[in-house]
Amino acid sequence: MTPEANARAELLQLIDSKMNRTLKYYLDTCVRCAICKDACHQYVATGDVLYLPAYRAELIRRIYKKYMTGSGRLLPKLFEGRDPEDDVLLDELYKTTYACTSCRRCMFWCPFSIDTSWVLAVAKALLLATGRGSEILTQLADSAIDKGKNIDLYTGVIREVLKGSEEEMRRIVQDPSAGFVYDKQGADVLYVALAGTHTILPAAIVFHQAGEDWTLSSFEGSNYGYFLGDTVKAKAIAQRIVDEAKTLGVKEIVMSECGHAHRVMRDFYRMWAKEELPAPMVSILSKVDGYIKDGRIKVTPGKITEPVTYHDPCQIGRNFGLFEEPRNVVRATCSDFRDMTPNRQKQWCCGGGGGLVAETEFDDVRLKSGRLKADQIKATGAKILVTPCENCRLQIESLNDHYDLGVRVSAVLDLVVEAIEIKPR
Amino acid sequence: MNWFQYVFAGWFVYVALIVFVGGLIWQIVKWRRVAKSRIVMGMFPKPAGLGARSAKMLKDTFFFPWVLDYSKSIWLFAGAFHLAGLLMFVGHLRLIHEFTPLVAWLGASGMDQFAFLTGGAFGIVLTVALIYLLLRRFGTPYKDLSVPEDYLLLILLLLIVTMGNHLRFFGTVHVTDYRDYVMSLLTFKPAFNAAILSSNVPWSLTTHVMLACAFLIYFPFSKLVHSIGAFATNLVRSE
Ligand code: SF4
Ligand code: SF4
Repeated sequence: MTPEANARAELLQLIDSKMNRTLKYYLDTCVRCAICKDACHQYVATGDVLYLPAYRAELIRRIYKKYMTGSGRLLPKLFEGRDPEDDVLLDELYKTTYACTSCRRCMFWCPFSIDTSWVLAVAKALLLATGRGSEILTQLADSAIDKGKNIDLYTGVIREVLKGSEEEMRRIVQDPSAGFVYDKQGADVLYVALAGTHTILPAAIVFHQAGEDWTLSSFEGSNYGYFLGDTVKAKAIAQRIVDEAKTLGVKEIVMSECGHAHRVMRDFYRMWAKEELPAPMVSILSKVDGYIKDGRIKVTPGKITEPVTYHDPCQIGRNFGLFEEPRNVVRATCSDFRDMTPNRQKQWCCGGGGGLVAETEFDDVRLKSGRLKADQIKATGAKILVTPCENCRLQIESLNDHYDLGVRVSAVLDLVVEAIEIKPR
Repeated sequence: MNWFQYVFAGWFVYVALIVFVGGLIWQIVKWRRVAKSRIVMGMFPKPAGLGARSAKMLKDTFFFPWVLDYSKSIWLFAGAFHLAGLLMFVGHLRLIHEFTPLVAWLGASGMDQFAFLTGGAFGIVLTVALIYLLLRRFGTPYKDLSVPEDYLLLILLLLIVTMGNHLRFFGTVHVTDYRDYVMSLLTFKPAFNAAILSSNVPWSLTTHVMLACAFLIYFPFSKLVHSIGAFATNLVRSE
């Protein structure tokens, strides 16, 4: 075989290794009806076929047809068969694959429920194998893995930095002995936050008030390996938390307000690692909803009087199944709650998922496609926008400036802390 | 029957049926040989339990309610197209055996009239829907998404339906003569009887059958496997 033929065979083998039964169904079943087109915020906002969900998947399908099906091998022209090393194809594939926010809105409206984002997982593997993985996502993933390897170098510094927040916590909960709990063997809850105290402090206050037996993970829940589509890296990043949960022997892994981290922990880790989690993963949203219902914490009803609206992060709602829990919590704190239309499983993606907020090269499509969300927010007349996903919050902050929305962007727990009735312990 | 008719409205039918059935089985085996995904890919809200999931899957597959939600006109076109196609297929079964209960109810000439009206109406619905679907593919963004297979299938179907319309609206042959032809196929002695041969339909009948066979042969190797894939993918939706 010539080196070119060899390289092609390797790429095809890689694609084949990524195939599972459902993916084959998806690749064989799409009828190119384009009903999915108006489901995708990026296509609707740009009108560019590159962002039409079925077209994204079609790029992979054309390779699949030509090399992996009898009819395509016989008559590649009939399916516009393409080669996996074709530069034009790979360029297009890069733009469309890393732009996709994996919101799965297209899957919702497709008459065959085809999950385009899942086909694009194959595209990501192909891009990585041809040296076209997203650079910034690679860097972010590598540094997370590096942190896992040298955690001792990090913890001292991080905990030092967090001292100020602990001080604030003591002030708020009026308990001089309160603080963040580290490395607690046998704790009930391992709380996995994100980088930055804004995801730690509110949770710490709530845990303290609920009398929860918790400990703070040394690692952040976000996983750039997942966005990158590199399953080895993604697994290594998630593994850090799993190992920690095993070592500490916790009963639950509680995930902070981060959309993709919810899915990574509950759904993807077991596929990458071929093992189950050492403890069930529970969302902080379900936890807090439970605390309020059980009276473990008390919030002043209607404490927040400005109109509040709630954005369902795709990875928390449609793709994870939490619609009512966060709404219950938000409703408990405010007097004027307004849902957007559409909402819940039909809600529009904010446009910032899939790691887009970290990749400046996609700023254009990110801001354009955010228009749909911006219009929805405006229509509610809300002054506070709550959403339990860091990427959504960053995106909506950015839409706030770009489209002049004039809302305050907040996490669910921020509202809880605003409305909580502190009981001294 | 001349040799062309004998081959393409005769033996080709057997080849087509074998390839169609064999091809579909092969396609299913091919799917089932691939390992299942380890990850659950369903989306929320979703019913629990295989019974509820299957019920939802069947509803999604046969009524595609999300499409109705998305666009009423597409839902109507797609629905009318598939329904007319299905009923047209059912109507053809009359060529194997007369629908006796219907005849008992409508009378012999009433039945003929009924068949003419329904068959004619479905033929027109199919023609209009196919032309619409074909023209739609030439517009943006559909043309960038479409591959030759999409046009080929639509043109093939349009030709089959057009020939069918010719038989229905211009043909002078009665159903019993067509039934003779189908019987000749079933007894492995393909033949047109004298009434067909002396009528104005041998060419359109032969083309109709030949293209329908080509369609059947291509079916299992094309995107038309969505007719079975839909059940699987819509079940994954609630996984
Ligand atoms: S809606 Fe589904 S079947 Fe239609 S083009 Fe999109 S992915 Fe393909
Ligand atoms: S998952 Fe979302 S962003 Fe990706 S193609 Fe589908 S609708 Fe568009």
